[in-house]
Amino acid sequence: MMTIMRKYVNMLLLPAIVAVSSCGLDNYDAPESKIQGRVVYNGEPVGVRGTGEAVQLQLYQDGYELRNPIPVYVAQDGSFEAKLFDGEYKLVTRDNNGPWVNDRDTTVINVKGTANADIEVTPFYTFSNVQFSLSGSSVNASFQINEVAGGRDIDYVLILAGKTSFVDDVSYTERREIKGLSTGSTITEALDLTNNADFKAGKPIFARVALRPAGKDQAIYSQVVRLR
Amino acid sequence: MKKSSISIFKVLVLAGGITCFSSCSDFLERQPDTIMTDDQIFGDAVMIRSVLANYYGRVSWGQHNGNGNSYNYTILDEAGKSDGGPDNIQGYGNDLWRVYDYTLIRNINQFLKGLRETTALADGDKQLYEGEARFLRAWLYFNMARGMGGMPIVGDEVFEYQSGTDITALQYPRSTEAGIYDYIIAECEAISSLLSDKTNQHSARANKWTAQMLKARAAIYAGSLANYNNKMTSPIRTAGGEVGIPADRAEGYYQQALAAAKDVIDNSPYELQLNKPDDLQRNFYEAISIKDNNTEVIWAQDRIYPGTGQQTNFTTANIPGSHAEDIDRAYAGPILNLVEDFEYTDDRNGDIHIRDNQGNYIFYNDPLDAFANKDARLGGTVILPNALFKGTPVVLQAGQKVWNNGAWQTITSGGDERDDAGRLVTAANGPNRSTEPYVNKTGFFFRKFLDEASLASTRGRNSDMWFPRFRFAEAVLIAAEAAMELGQQPVAVGYINQVRERAGIQPLTSVTVDDIIQERRVEFAFEDHRYWDLKRFRRAHIVWNGVVNSPTAQQYALFPYLVVAPGTPNDGKYVFDKLTFSNSLHPRFFELRNYYNFIDLGWQNANPKIVLNPFQ
Repeated sequence: MMTIMRKYVNMLLLPAIVAVSSCGLDNYDAPESKIQGRVVYNGEPVGVRGTGEAVQLQLYQDGYELRNPIPVYVAQDGSFEAKLFDGEYKLVTRDNNGPWVNDRDTTVINVKGTANADIEVTPFYTFSNVQFSLSGSSVNASFQINEVAGGRDIDYVLILAGKTSFVDDVSYTERREIKGLSTGSTITEALDLTNNADFKAGKPIFARVALRPAGKDQAIYSQVVRLR
Repeated sequence: MKKSSISIFKVLVLAGGITCFSSCSDFLERQPDTIMTDDQIFGDAVMIRSVLANYYGRVSWGQHNGNGNSYNYTILDEAGKSDGGPDNIQGYGNDLWRVYDYTLIRNINQFLKGLRETTALADGDKQLYEGEARFLRAWLYFNMARGMGGMPIVGDEVFEYQSGTDITALQYPRSTEAGIYDYIIAECEAISSLLSDKTNQHSARANKWTAQMLKARAAIYAGSLANYNNKMTSPIRTAGGEVGIPADRAEGYYQQALAAAKDVIDNSPYELQLNKPDDLQRNFYEAISIKDNNTEVIWAQDRIYPGTGQQTNFTTANIPGSHAEDIDRAYAGPILNLVEDFEYTDDRNGDIHIRDNQGNYIFYNDPLDAFANKDARLGGTVILPNALFKGTPVVLQAGQKVWNNGAWQTITSGGDERDDAGRLVTAANGPNRSTEPYVNKTGFFFRKFLDEASLASTRGRNSDMWFPRFRFAEAVLIAAEAAMELGQQPVAVGYINQVRERAGIQPLTSVTVDDIIQERRVEFAFEDHRYWDLKRFRRAHIVWNGVVNSPTAQQYALFPYLVVAPGTPNDGKYVFDKLTFSNSLHPRFFELRNYYNFIDLGWQNANPKIVLNPFQ
């Protein structure tokens, strides 16, 4: 009886060995290398909508059968980061995406450890000298609009206030749309929060201005400023 | 002990051996009963017909009233989700209502090949079946085109692949957007002489007029795309024209659309159904939702009862609680945005009058009175507060407005509770602003497609309500639109007023594109037009602009209240509050990238000739 038991035990060993020794070939370590960088114009990062995967870059790697790009999401301050395996990659902006002139030129990046890569774009418009202040229940914004690429009108300018540090044309608690602003001089406009529930509830206030070039899918934004 | 174990072992080996050699005499020799050969199919007229029937069951795409599809209606600006947890939609998916069914195209092409060679059918039937199969194929291309633009056109090709075949010959590039619409139009022209010009039961099968309708619809879509895309600040195009139709093609498409629509209007056996001129609301409901003796609907997805898997639970899911026959009810309800887009008989602004110029409530003796003199189609599309369904009123009451020390106080309760005086507070139907399931939250219920048959709202039976895909009113409105775009104002006015007259509203003296959009919005609510219309007119990103509290992007509800003000003349009357729809947290947001579905990268990997869509 003991012999039979031993036979059975031996039989059980086989699958156990299989179970322990398998799974070598198809397991990789997670990627440790990374690309990090910013979308810049003249060395200044370009502010964008950071929610909803709205602005993306695309990474391609040649030499493989499949051609699918890896999406790289741009954060609202214009920065991006992707964890990758070492290798040579091509970084490109997404077609017609972003408040800049559509340009599908590739940037070749060799990743070994950490690679820094800033992507140069040409926005249609930029903001400069952006300042916010909170007086009473009013967010006062002063800023200058600069035309860069030309060829497109300003659809509208937005003054946005939010209760978290994520502020854009989808995530906001108060929004004012202004049309017909001109470029090249300082503009002062206010956003009224008198009836805003979050303002009355004493929540934090973050603000930012945005400009939508006519016909583009995204607006360009100033950096987010905390006012309260 | 040891000996006996050896003999057990021997027996086992022997038994195993015998099993190996003697088993399976004819077990594996059976003919498969789920795979048929071409000879079996095309040698038998009944089989051929049943294969064709199978294709009819595979062509429902987009927004429709099929099983579990109530949410089709809540993601736009027609209805709101009311079945519990809130609707968190913040934008539209890149593959919303995307159709890519080359399996069906291959099957239809295999069918056409077999059909053309068979001797089992009379020539007349062969012709008819060829027309129907090619119609369904054209309809499929149309459904692909309106989502993605130009896609590979494979004609009648049935590809064969064996190991070693050069697959690049099987990889077709995408057609241009104009090219795919041209193909659909040409196919419809070619088959209209093959198809019957007679009606058929419940309009379930394609006939000549269905082909003409598809031609008219494809042409008007292509015309408006050529026209309005090029009027955008930054037209949406690809370099190869897979997306983007040249502006100079518009006029030709409008002419084709007008001619095809006019043919249906002048020569087909269908009409703007008007069986009950004394009750235009009921007339409109019956023209769309009652299939027996219907003269309006040209092609529909029909359903029958009994029959496995044939029915839809649209009625089960959406019936008012007061009329429910099972536990399900009130999954969704039409929203105020839609209700207010229906005009008054003599006022084109359809806003419900809930406050006077001083901002005071307007008091109504009956909640239904607030909707008096509205477009008759409203009552035929939406169950309004206190309107009848199956002969009894559908009570919708959010609560009471109590006059208290010079101010209105709002009182609500659980469903069907009464105050001390015995007056209803909140109705069992709702509406309320909670996330509680089975209670209405918009203030309205669906009427269009809601089945009045007994037990049609039970899970065990469900409903055999059909889904019309083409109906006569569309021919009339396509003709009106095409004539308007071609500058033929008197013709356009004549057509649009036919539809408006049946709705009991004032005639127009001139027609603009906004009039067309407005008329189609209310005429075809819940009929799979709204989304595609706003896309082809390039209005979707303007109407659904994502702005909080925008009158068009935010969803709104209308809550009726009973007035409790004892000793005043208004006691016992009703007032209304317009509220943002509580169960939909975000305004609708249609971005430029949503004008065309994204191409699946897997398709591109399989066929590198497929180029991607804009913004992708």
